[in-house]
Amino acid sequence: MNALEEKVLEIMRETFGVEALTTDASQKNCESWDSLRHLALASELEDAFDLELEPEEIAEMTDFSRVIAMLESKL
Amino acid sequence: MTTFVFRNQTVEPFLDYDGMIYSGYDDISVTHADADRYIWFYQVPVNANSVQLAEEIDSYRGKLDLVLSGIDNQKPFIVFSLVNLFPLRVTGDQTALDEAIAAFNAHVAQLSRERRNVKWVDFSEFTLRYDADMLINWKYFLMSQTLLNPKLAHDFQAWWSRIEEELSMKRKKCLVLDLDNTLWGGVLGEDGIDGIRLGGDYPGKAYTYWQRSLLQLSRHGVILAVCSKNNEADVIEAWEKNAAMVLKREHFSAVRINWKDKVTNMRELAAELNIGLDSMVFLDDSPIERELVKQMLPEVEVPDFPDKPYGLMPFFKELLEKYFRIYLVTDEDRSKTEQYQANALRQAEQSRFTDLEGYLYSLDMSLDIIPADEHNLPRIAQMTQKTNQFNLTTRRYDEAAVRQRLDDGWRIYCMSVRDRFGDSGITGTIFLEPVDDLTMHIDTLLLSCRILGRGIEEAFIKTVFNLLRLDGFRKVKAVYLPTAKNSQTADFYDRMGMTCMSVDNDGAKHYEMPLTDVFELKNYYNIRVL
Repeated sequence: MNALEEKVLEIMRETFGVEALTTDASQKNCESWDSLRHLALASELEDAFDLELEPEEIAEMTDFSRVIAMLESKL
Repeated sequence: MTTFVFRNQTVEPFLDYDGMIYSGYDDISVTHADADRYIWFYQVPVNANSVQLAEEIDSYRGKLDLVLSGIDNQKPFIVFSLVNLFPLRVTGDQTALDEAIAAFNAHVAQLSRERRNVKWVDFSEFTLRYDADMLINWKYFLMSQTLLNPKLAHDFQAWWSRIEEELSMKRKKCLVLDLDNTLWGGVLGEDGIDGIRLGGDYPGKAYTYWQRSLLQLSRHGVILAVCSKNNEADVIEAWEKNAAMVLKREHFSAVRINWKDKVTNMRELAAELNIGLDSMVFLDDSPIERELVKQMLPEVEVPDFPDKPYGLMPFFKELLEKYFRIYLVTDEDRSKTEQYQANALRQAEQSRFTDLEGYLYSLDMSLDIIPADEHNLPRIAQMTQKTNQFNLTTRRYDEAAVRQRLDDGWRIYCMSVRDRFGDSGITGTIFLEPVDDLTMHIDTLLLSCRILGRGIEEAFIKTVFNLLRLDGFRKVKAVYLPTAKNSQTADFYDRMGMTCMSVDNDGAKHYEMPLTDVFELKNYYNIRVL
């Protein structure tokens, strides 16, 4: 796991309140990853990486790997 | 503990995602009787139509009352005050909206005084920390109906947990003050009555503000007491002779000015005032005295004291928020004298207007006289259909008929009325039919009854007369047609100075008047002809 992935995982654990969250987390398999906390995650990521996510981009980040892919494309 | 939250926007990111139960947006149909406590956290919605928005805000009061009436009045009910996060000033006049928000907040403050379980939280205390453009994040609002910027969630949670702590804290009743370097600058025994720093320039000025603020605290029910190592005779002399002294002997409910230790004095004060040590706050500039009281009387609150005089006012604010604010709003046993004083003030305010004109002037009324156009034509037609009481001829017109009259060369004006309590909108109209080049006939004149009683009808018609005169008309004719409902207008034209030329068998009165002089208008109307 690279530094980016570690940081994102940490933010997701914090945001969703799930300490055991792993890199295969997705909106489907993580109960507390609901629509509101999805936005909270987006907001946290924007602040942590100092970038702006468009609503369409936020909608695409439905699992951990897509979050990483989106961030990599923006950083 | 189960908390049920009434809300009209998404507030989960600020309060809690899972630990609370949320109402639907602006839904009061479910009140969740099992909850241990309730929170009412509404936001001012975004709506460019401020009049409509004001009406919506006004509806919150009734909803809140309804909810409260159906809930166990032993359970805590926390209400956030309303803050307009996005003040849109389309017209430049937002009086109605500002008033509606203020009315809601005043209502909540009143409820918190009347009902022990209702506490109100001043939301502006949080929002005022931020620039306006920080408060809303439109992207997140539009995606999730979260009006307050979710980026402020962490800050909000920190603030909110402090508020929750305050809400659960036992209120304090008494503030015990040291004197030297606490209530004034310097040491009385060394500097003398006129040598202590109080009044005048800095640092004396800082103590003046401080004493005035403490005086307000005492006026609102907080007991002030003195605990000081001093010669009592010196202090009494200072109270009597130092002209800058704001707080004097009579403002303190109990005093201990002696050379005994402060712990003994504090115990005595508590006994004399018949209050618990746990409702006392001890202020002293000396860290040694503070530490002693802290150690020996752990029930007493002992905040650090600012070491610079300019720190006193922020310190006062802190005291207020930390120990006494809740006391102030929930205080039910404020002394009768205080209540009498407040009532006397209110009565004085009411009787400030010794005459009707003064009252009218205070209303800050604006009248806009607007020629009929495609925008206001539906409203004009509607008024002719609905208005019965202040309607001189009660002629009913539909939109097409109004349009036809305009095409025939009639002049039709409507009037929009605002005052400091709100915008009444288009509430009057007049139809003028040209008889010849010099004469106009008033076919229709009506005003909505909700604006009557303020002389507006007179201002309206006189403004129209002045307009006609400016445009070269020299005579105006009118008719009053009696109905079962419009008797209040039977002598209106007489009062306007017109001459009754004839009365028909059915009671119709025909009037005429030359347009020679300009009509004077009262200066309490701000009249615009558009």
